Amino acid sequence: MTAPTITSAPVVGRQGNYAGAVTRLVAFAADIGVAWGIFTLTLASIDFAFQLVTGKQLNLGSRQVLTVAGLIIWEFIYFAYQWSLGGKTIGMALLGIRVVRTDGEAVGPRQAVIRTLTLPLSFLILGLGFIGILLNRDRHALHDRCAGTVVVYSWDARAARLRWLAKQDPTTPS
Amino acid sequence: MEGLVEAIAERVVGLVIEAIDINALVSKVDMDALLTKVDIDAIVSRVDVDGLIDRVDVEKIIDRVDVEKIIERVDVEKIIDRVDIEKIIQRVDIDALVEQTELGTIIAHSTSGVASEVLDVVRAQGVGLDDFVARWMDRILRRKSDDWPPGPVLLVSSVSEGDSLAVAAGAQP
Repeated sequence: MTAPTITSAPVVGRQGNYAGAVTRLVAFAADIGVAWGIFTLTLASIDFAFQLVTGKQLNLGSRQVLTVAGLIIWEFIYFAYQWSLGGKTIGMALLGIRVVRTDGEAVGPRQAVIRTLTLPLSFLILGLGFIGILLNRDRHALHDRCAGTVVVYSWDARAARLRWLAKQDPTTPS
Repeated sequence: MEGLVEAIAERVVGLVIEAIDINALVSKVDMDALLTKVDIDAIVSRVDVDGLIDRVDVEKIIDRVDVEKIIERVDVEKIIDRVDIEKIIQRVDIDALVEQTELGTIIAHSTSGVASEVLDVVRAQGVGLDDFVARWMDRILRRKSDDWPPGPVLLVSSVSEGDSLAVAAGAQP
């Protein structure tokens, strides 16, 4: 069995196609990083402001229950709000993917909320909720199935190809 | 003496021609019978068409033609309606056009930046890795996913036409 090679040839023309596991994973990691970064920065800002006004240290980071509860609420807002707005989070926008309904229509607030609420389920069953991305023909994860959504490539790879071509020296044979 | 005879002959011929009613004469001629006897092919074969064309001053003819007037009489809208623009665009090698014309520079100047370049590369790598993983899964599960729908019906049908050109050209962002 020969190993499949990594090629960039089929990239162009993927707009609207089901997004693959790697892109989705990287986008999700970026989102976790961004959400966690904003949350930490916000806590630090509140601490700083509190100290500035009262002269006492609030030290929110040490109140674990409060912090975890706040983080969960923040993560919910972060994902649900962005998905309901344009079907993409910051990480997804960076990686050029977005969430749509199974028929391709834009997701509404209802799907966004259901997807956000069921996303932890995919983790809680030992990550098996994500296996559908590799196995299913429409690359459904568990939370996708629950919300009736799919993830597709949204970036204009064709424009990227044209930009790349435009930068090449016209005298160089392609 | 000869000169006198020629002058008389010319005068006589002139008088005879003036006296003849050509129209009446022609009306008596059976043109159909005459034409059937004429071997048109033989006549045409004797004509030196190349020589004839060589003698024609095309430039002079073109000079006489009032192009503006002709253009005014042309219904451009009607012609455009008849042209299959989609077919023409499909025949255009967009990649070559961008590479070899200033259009490429315009696109580069208007749309590129370091950030967008980095994004393009990251995204392209991501899609490449997605395909790599998908192909491995196909091999492990011994399945053929080529026939699977590439995306939701609404999205795939709306982008596939424009992108089919680019797929043929290949991608190296």
